[in-house]
Amino acid sequence: MEQMRPSSTDRGAKRAPLIRLENISKSYGPVKANRNISLEIRSGEILALLGENGAGKSTLMSILSGKSRQDSGSIFVDGELTSFRSPRDALAAGIGMVYQHFMLVEAMTVTQNLMLGQAHGILNPSAMRERVLELAARYGFEINPDAMISDLSMGERQRVEILKLLYRDCRVLILDEPTAVLTPPEIHQLFVALRRMAADGKALVFISHKMKEVLDLATEISILRRGEIVDHFLRSEVPGERELAERMIGRQMETLVEQTPAEKGEVLLELSHASCGMASDLTCSLRRGEVLAVVGVAGNGQRELVEMVTGGARPDSVKDSVRILGRNWNDFMRARMGRKSMVYIPEDRKGLATCPSLDLLDNFLLTNRNGFQNFGFLDRRHSATVTTGIMEEYQVVADGLHATAGSLSGGNLQKMVLGREFFREPSLIVAENPTQGLDIGAMEEVWRRILEARDHAGVLLVTSDLHEAMTLADTFAVMYRGRFIDVFPRSDVARVESIGLMMAGIPFDAKEAKEAVHEA
Amino acid sequence: MDGFRVVRRQAPHRWIGIVVLPAALLIALAFCSLLLLIQDKSPVEAAVVLFQGGFGSLYALQDTMLKAIPIFLCSLGVSVAFRMKVWNIGAEGQFALGGVGATWAVLTFPSLPMPLMLAVMLLCAAVAGGLWGMIPGFLKLKFGLNEIISTLMLNYIGIEFMRYLVYGPWKDPGSMGFPMTAMFPEEAIFPEVLGYVHAGLLVCVAAAVVVAVFLQRTKLGFELCAAGENPRAARYARIPYGFLLVFVLTVSGALAGMAGCVEVSATFNRLQPNLCTGYGYTAIVVAWLSRLRIPSIALFSVFLAGLLVGTDNLQVDMQVPAAFGGILEGFILLCVLAGQFFYSYTFVRTGREQGGAA
Repeated sequence: MEQMRPSSTDRGAKRAPLIRLENISKSYGPVKANRNISLEIRSGEILALLGENGAGKSTLMSILSGKSRQDSGSIFVDGELTSFRSPRDALAAGIGMVYQHFMLVEAMTVTQNLMLGQAHGILNPSAMRERVLELAARYGFEINPDAMISDLSMGERQRVEILKLLYRDCRVLILDEPTAVLTPPEIHQLFVALRRMAADGKALVFISHKMKEVLDLATEISILRRGEIVDHFLRSEVPGERELAERMIGRQMETLVEQTPAEKGEVLLELSHASCGMASDLTCSLRRGEVLAVVGVAGNGQRELVEMVTGGARPDSVKDSVRILGRNWNDFMRARMGRKSMVYIPEDRKGLATCPSLDLLDNFLLTNRNGFQNFGFLDRRHSATVTTGIMEEYQVVADGLHATAGSLSGGNLQKMVLGREFFREPSLIVAENPTQGLDIGAMEEVWRRILEARDHAGVLLVTSDLHEAMTLADTFAVMYRGRFIDVFPRSDVARVESIGLMMAGIPFDAKEAKEAVHEA
Repeated sequence: MDGFRVVRRQAPHRWIGIVVLPAALLIALAFCSLLLLIQDKSPVEAAVVLFQGGFGSLYALQDTMLKAIPIFLCSLGVSVAFRMKVWNIGAEGQFALGGVGATWAVLTFPSLPMPLMLAVMLLCAAVAGGLWGMIPGFLKLKFGLNEIISTLMLNYIGIEFMRYLVYGPWKDPGSMGFPMTAMFPEEAIFPEVLGYVHAGLLVCVAAAVVVAVFLQRTKLGFELCAAGENPRAARYARIPYGFLLVFVLTVSGALAGMAGCVEVSATFNRLQPNLCTGYGYTAIVVAWLSRLRIPSIALFSVFLAGLLVGTDNLQVDMQVPAAFGGILEGFILLCVLAGQFFYSYTFVRTGREQGGAA
């Protein structure tokens, strides 16, 4: 993990901003995504935009990068009023964006990808290759210009994306949640490179909702809430995470969720050398009252694990490699899922857990329909009462029972999904990144609910958020390239501390772990 | 500097349906007027003839209703499948098989009393049409075959099969060589209930009520709608997608089959090769225009049936070719579909700064 560094903000007089945003507003229908946002982006600074999902970060950045247009307000580049009609205009003004999803051609080399989109007349691949090497060396990127994109790791692909912008002499680089797909060592390398760019006079905008990273990297911090910039300050003004969190949620933070071990019961889920697609040879068990956190960088087999356990995909060998609630996979999946069985809280709330265009009542019935039927007819009146009760209990803010699921914010929708699934008093809960994109308030609420559920259930928590795992887990399983690198209890402090290395594929070794900590 | 940009709407405006639909119909009529002008025919006169012919008198209205009945049943059928985003365009073939099923019932049990006879005919027609619809369902389930292709192809097979029967085994020896079955006994002919509109109308009402209750009140109907809204969520919620796929195509086919039964019984009183005149395709247009709402399906069935009747009059009065009806129908569908763009999108002026929501 990254360690804290002293910030580099104290530079005396402020330079003239490269970019100045003035009263930018943007609405999508009734939703005001941005409200009168004013912001200055200066060369040499790393500006962190911190905010929950839906706070308007992405909208603001898509305006700045020319992807969408503001309804009102002005953008000044070098003091001149400018309007961007397309990302091309923004790029010409020196503003480039690294998206969460990379836009690279997999079947081409690094150099070829850099040549794309700027073919004017004759190309000079060897000169280009030289320049790639030069840029990479300057910022400490290890990259082979002749490597195929398809052979590169996520971290390396991200470097190619950044190189693309540097190659075009971008002065302002916007990075949208750049650490989401990286291992801790890759994050470290990225941060080193970003600091060098800032020192070189580039202006960087770093979008994140991870406070630790923001504290680590940023020189200035802006906090967005409900489309407005509610706070702006220098990194040096906030000593630690707690203070930053306070400013972020705008209220004194309640005591964070405390995990105290619950009483363990019978085994609910048992994997013994289970394999499914990329996930292979997984062995672990989960008891009632336990949270088993599967951590790892996204894309290391977690999806396959979840699909196998929830019935979306068959395990490669069915014979007793997966036992759920005392039954083998085949028998369990064939049985009807009723009360006190398994529930699945998927990461994709709008694509998988709900039908966004149906209302909340219908979305409640989506998974509870078998409990509310008489001879094939649905009892909508009774289910409406129950749904209303759940909305009250879970404090779901919505425009009534007949609001469409799609109109709810991420946090409210997730609370609704939890309420809906917990209604069946499950014995086994499979939760996949359950707080992704939620604000702190909703996150705490979800965490508390999951911990409470341990009274009657075991929880398989698959998460790429280490903080979440640390908060909730009784047992950790670190996943790398489809395998569990290690499975250990919370009490094994040495192992817990080297989870970051395990996520990068380095197995635990007491001696090595110590050295690595010293190096970092 | 100024331009227009397409922006997605959060929710359709209330007035949008009221404005877009008539506008689209007018534009479609304008296109057709142009076609008439090219032929030196007066569009105004044509419009008068068209609407007089379709809706202008009690007779016209009754003729229109007679055509609207099979269109409505077929359209109700395809709309059930469309609701699950299963694209059944095989109503025409299922309709033909329904005619075959009903005729088989008459030929096999020629001496049943009237109510029982009609019930058996409807049942056999529904089974035949339903089986014909089930085939593409299985093909999609087992082999992943696209149902658009398979339902379309089965139309040709179904119609040719029906023709084979009337040209071959079922040909009435007393028909002096004409390809047709013997005339049905009186017990096998739907009686007239409203003017000379036959009891097929009651079949329509009953089918509409059953389908509406099924979709809105039953668990299976709910599952079907949910599966159409979001197939991934349906799998997540363990909705039996494969079963529903076959089920909707079967129901869809059964309803089209019932339309075939009504048509052979009440219109032709026998099975003959010109049974299929494209109601199954018009039904698809109706389902789209009505956005799958059952009351709208009824309205549009009558509207398009009226245009069909009106076009017959145009043909007689103004020597407009028969194909004109198809062209008119096609223009209407295209214009309305293009207009549906405005349900989810809107244009916004760009260039100047402006406040307010899109």
